[in-house]
Amino acid sequence: MISQQKKYMIEISQKEIEELRNSVKATSRKVMAENIARMKKTSKNRPKAMEYFDEVADLFGKREKEIQAAKESGKKVIGYMCLFAPTEMILAADAIPVRVNSGWYDTSKLGDRVVPVEVCPVIRSTIGAKMIGLSPYLELSDALISVLTCDGMTKLGEILSDYKPVWAMPIPRVKDLPQSLRFWREGLLTVKGQIEALTGNKITRKKLKSAIEKTQKATKAFRRLQELRKGNPVIMGRDAMLVNQTYMWDDITRWTEKTEALCDELEEKVRRKEWSCSLDAPRVMVTGTPMIWPDNWKLPTLVEEGTPQGVLVADELCSSERLLYDPVGVDEWTMDDMLNAIGERYLMASTCPCFTSKDGNADRINWMLNKIKEWNVQGVIYYVVRGCMSYAMEYTRIKKVLDGINIPVYYLDTEYTREDVGQMKTRVEAFLEMLTARIDI
Amino acid sequence: MVIEILGEALKLMVLAGLTIAGILVILIWKKGLATRVTYLRFVIQAAALATFFYIFTYPIWLLIMLIVILAMSIVFGRFFCGWLCPFGLYMDLITVARKALKIRHRDLPDRLNKFLHNLRYVLLLVFLLLPAVLLLMDPLPSVQLGIVLAEVLGGPFKPMNILLGPIIPLIVPWAGPLVIGDVNFSYPYVQDIIGYTNGIYATIFPLIFVVLTVVGSFAIRRVWCRFCPTGASLAVVNRFKGFKWAPALHLEKDEEKCTKCGICKRVCSVQVTDVYEQKGGKIDTSMCMLCLRCVEMCPYEGCLKLKIGGKTIFKSRNWLKPSDSD
Repeated sequence: MISQQKKYMIEISQKEIEELRNSVKATSRKVMAENIARMKKTSKNRPKAMEYFDEVADLFGKREKEIQAAKESGKKVIGYMCLFAPTEMILAADAIPVRVNSGWYDTSKLGDRVVPVEVCPVIRSTIGAKMIGLSPYLELSDALISVLTCDGMTKLGEILSDYKPVWAMPIPRVKDLPQSLRFWREGLLTVKGQIEALTGNKITRKKLKSAIEKTQKATKAFRRLQELRKGNPVIMGRDAMLVNQTYMWDDITRWTEKTEALCDELEEKVRRKEWSCSLDAPRVMVTGTPMIWPDNWKLPTLVEEGTPQGVLVADELCSSERLLYDPVGVDEWTMDDMLNAIGERYLMASTCPCFTSKDGNADRINWMLNKIKEWNVQGVIYYVVRGCMSYAMEYTRIKKVLDGINIPVYYLDTEYTREDVGQMKTRVEAFLEMLTARIDI
Repeated sequence: MVIEILGEALKLMVLAGLTIAGILVILIWKKGLATRVTYLRFVIQAAALATFFYIFTYPIWLLIMLIVILAMSIVFGRFFCGWLCPFGLYMDLITVARKALKIRHRDLPDRLNKFLHNLRYVLLLVFLLLPAVLLLMDPLPSVQLGIVLAEVLGGPFKPMNILLGPIIPLIVPWAGPLVIGDVNFSYPYVQDIIGYTNGIYATIFPLIFVVLTVVGSFAIRRVWCRFCPTGASLAVVNRFKGFKWAPALHLEKDEEKCTKCGICKRVCSVQVTDVYEQKGGKIDTSMCMLCLRCVEMCPYEGCLKLKIGGKTIFKSRNWLKPSDSD
């Protein structure tokens, strides 16, 4: 019944799908090439190791073929929408984890046919991408893990279940209640069973341990990269964001190796004092709605190509720094403790605004304060796309805190569209101008 | 004659062991392996065991030991429990065995844990007040009561012994009754009971306690430490408002660096929740034994610190850094 009649999706003819896909794909290819070309142009002394990430960043390139080949050899692909999905378990079951959120502007218009325009464009864009079968990773995934974080994500899973099995993982909205962790753990166990059933591989203690060690190594490389951004800018923020983001679909072991190589090169650059931009460039942090490659790259581009030029040294985005910053801390290598460790790593350490507690989402504020101090951030851009309620509503509190420590914060709201780049440029540059003036004083 | 020679040989061996342990500690510290606190702790615990063993082979005035340990607790808090107590080592080794067998541990419910924690002070008070009560009751109403008291409470006439309780049977292996080979298996506090009873009790009581401890600490990490009156006596300065400054050795937490990931709570062998729950600043709960497992495991650099006075001597690091090196 379900397979025949779609609950949400509208019927489009195969011909229209083909046409749309080809045109969006062509635009997307152009955008990716252009973004990379601009990143190359802006960054002085761009590390050579970035070439690998430029290549992997091509969504319709090498990695798609690799996953395709792996699938043909019998591997399963499991997609996830929020970073709460337990990657370690997917790896332990010998499947490939990919994050499937979409950053395409054009498909968000298509999503409008299914959900109203008020809905967060990340959701609309993902729906649109599915509609025309654009995203290679979404198409290739055999099942999706949908973590019920914000309202958009909750319904997105439901809508996508028109096409694929979707495993919903309900998440407790208050992290530090005694029952929350138990609830979340039960959810993890359910998903573990589902993964095992799909892949036919049992998640054993040994396999899970090696998967955890794999992601721990990735976290190590990841943190090393973020640590390097603490000092003078040796890598542009956009480059670092691209590296962080390719983790979402790349092979994790290879990604770790390449990131370590990148860090080696960057350390060499620090020794030789080869900086990637002027040392006077204001150090900016972005927080808010996830920014997803390839299209939604306009804010980082505007900051780093603006006059005066700014540099992104840190962010609080679940598509970048929050992705892998927290490690799975295992005390004893028993199945039980590993499950607890995985559960805590995803639930407790997260600063997602979908959470609240008796202090509100104080974790997020602490994360930001720490970043601001340690990374020597001079200004914060609070980036929100229209329809992203949780982030938008937390702004007032964040602003109050940041005002208290005299760090300017700028609320930048936008949409999944290229039309507002001009006016955004004016706004971003005014903010950077102001930051520069503050530094001069 | 043979036994005396053996005894002397044993003492020499202990001395040699002590020296080796000392050298090991220095080596580990120097090589920067101090980041591996758990291993370092085992070495120090072993060294402490050897030291106590050595000291107690000579007749010693217990009061001196008592004063030293109490004075130490003013500065170091419950450092003794985490790092020196031989009984703690005993339980830690059982934990190591359990880990090797890949068997999960159980946790006590937080409320029960807190209750046991408070019960320690009651136990301590009872033991300390008992001599006075007995003095007032002198002579005892009945001989029966005297025997029951002696059986249940152990050495009421040597109250100070209580403070050293957990160590004595382990460090003076030949002093108690349950001797198999040359090793005494009797349990803390039980040794004194044995002194007042004899016959079948002398074997059954220690046996029961030994089994309980082994099974208990196999299932629950550091089970005894949760209600140990010795621990309570060491931590008693932490309890009083005016004395919160006293334990110079303490943990400190940086609120901003904490993401509340919960690792510190999970790895704690006595289930201290304060490190996780407290907003930041000095952690002065008397449940903490300063074993530093949380500091070792905390993945956020500088979030948890061990301070003595105002000086940081050990802090949490990006623990992913050294994970490859061994």
